[in-house]
Amino acid sequence: MDPLLSVRGLTVTFGSFTAVEDVSFDIHAGQTLAVVGESGSGKSVTALSIMRLVELGTRGKIEAGEILFRNSDGEVIDLVRQREDQMREIRGNQISMIFQEPLTSLNPVYSVGDQVAEAVILHQGLDKEAANERVLDMFRLVRIPEPEERMAQFPHEMSGGMRQRVMIAMALSCDPKVLIADEPTTALDVTIQAQILGLMRDLREQTGAAVLIITHDMGVVAEVADDVVVMNRAKVVERGPVTQIFESATEPYTQALLASVPRLGSMTGLDKPAPFELVEYQP
Amino acid sequence: MTAVSPEQGDLGPPGRQALRLFVRNKAAVFGALLLTAIVFMTLFGSFFYDQDPSRIIARPLQGPGEGDAPALGTDYLGRDVLAGVVNGGSTSLTVALVAVLLVIVIGVTIGAISGYYGGWIDVAFMRFTELFQVLPALLFAMVIVALFSPSTRSVAIAIGLASWPQTARLTRAEFLRLKNLEFVKAARAIGASDFRIIWQVIFPNALPPLIVSITLIMGAAILFESGLAFLGLGDPQSQSWGLMIGLSRQTFLNGWWTVTFPGLAIFATVLSFSLIGDGLQDAFNPKLRGR
Repeated sequence: MDPLLSVRGLTVTFGSFTAVEDVSFDIHAGQTLAVVGESGSGKSVTALSIMRLVELGTRGKIEAGEILFRNSDGEVIDLVRQREDQMREIRGNQISMIFQEPLTSLNPVYSVGDQVAEAVILHQGLDKEAANERVLDMFRLVRIPEPEERMAQFPHEMSGGMRQRVMIAMALSCDPKVLIADEPTTALDVTIQAQILGLMRDLREQTGAAVLIITHDMGVVAEVADDVVVMNRAKVVERGPVTQIFESATEPYTQALLASVPRLGSMTGLDKPAPFELVEYQP
Repeated sequence: MTAVSPEQGDLGPPGRQALRLFVRNKAAVFGALLLTAIVFMTLFGSFFYDQDPSRIIARPLQGPGEGDAPALGTDYLGRDVLAGVVNGGSTSLTVALVAVLLVIVIGVTIGAISGYYGGWIDVAFMRFTELFQVLPALLFAMVIVALFSPSTRSVAIAIGLASWPQTARLTRAEFLRLKNLEFVKAARAIGASDFRIIWQVIFPNALPPLIVSITLIMGAAILFESGLAFLGLGDPQSQSWGLMIGLSRQTFLNGWWTVTFPGLAIFATVLSFSLIGDGLQDAFNPKLRGR
């Protein structure tokens, strides 16, 4: 089957600094691809490049490569070559994104219901009433309890987990084909993390969307991913199905990344947590 | 925007929260009441005190209570000072209101575009703003009023043109702070246009400091108008507090009441705006309370 989204030879620079170099991967409908790597490895820049948000307000520039996307009409378009107004049609509608910080990614001056409705009105041309119906459905879908009351609340009245659910509802409100989640659970505590990841997995099954999840947490990868791309220093180190990566990673960097997850009981009897050995990546 | 203290938690939307804090501030409430009274006097005062301020009604320079003088005495031509005070506010307030509207339109637009887009647009707009900022405001306004004949409109435009740079800079600073926040990125990620992001996403978040600043500029504009009128650059056709003081300045040693009462009116109006501005500042930024 043809991939839904195919990134080929993507290179992104900020001035003289290369943030992403020759990165390629495919995402298929209904699958989850995890991009893993340490801070600064270029995973977020990759995600922002797919949305074409990397050039705005920064000195970022997509130097080379193509991002082929099969849109809802079945045509394959290169996102790198779309005009800004064409991208606006795609953003939120066909490809949408969830951000790392649920605490700051909602606008403090509008009620959460209005914010989600905004996305629906923007792309589907519904009137206010129909949009609110849609928001209610979305809130039920992401399992926000008492959705009617919650809709009128402001972001500061909600917990981090609830806000992330609102963000997911907003991202899914227009039935996107690709959902990009940039460290969606990093700012949440562990029990809420598990809930949000479970929710994302269920939603992927229900909506058939492809999911690109960015994380540095191998635990999250094991939980949700079908395929894994490991990045370091702007380059892809290793890629493959999740079982292959976890069972027989060939690159030393991947093995070190896997080994960096502490195991329960591994530090029993120590005064303080033992540091992990640093691994320098050798290409 | 970080943790919400339980005390604030149930206050509802940020606007209503600010209103509660404002109402708790006694000085601010006093300022609001004072301003309401002044506006009421300006709008409806002539119904209660029906006296033409430009008519000569008694002997000139009679103090309050002397001879046949009205309540607040007469000026050097024998006109009623109280009638002048009651009617003089409309010019001051109208001019200040129009000037502030002009300040908002120019200042916010330039500041928003400058802060949001950055780069060479920012550089060009900010140099342009500085050009206005380095001009002495009063002199600049005087030149404009002198170029066009003094009228309520030209005075308002002159004050507006001399006052907008501060608002532009403040708006720009707020936009610089807000434009990189996650919710702006999120708005872009759902496909919002620049126009929408500027006015519907960022602007409402920039409002609190702007409202405070606009209130203070309003007070300053009234003072400004009085200053221009005092210098003889007001609209000669209309009565205004500043004009009353300006015309009476040769006689005020013989008649303190001719300048004191219009002066008090200016003082009260500017004070009310300052108190309201202060109250709003505290209401929008509870961290500053008790400072």
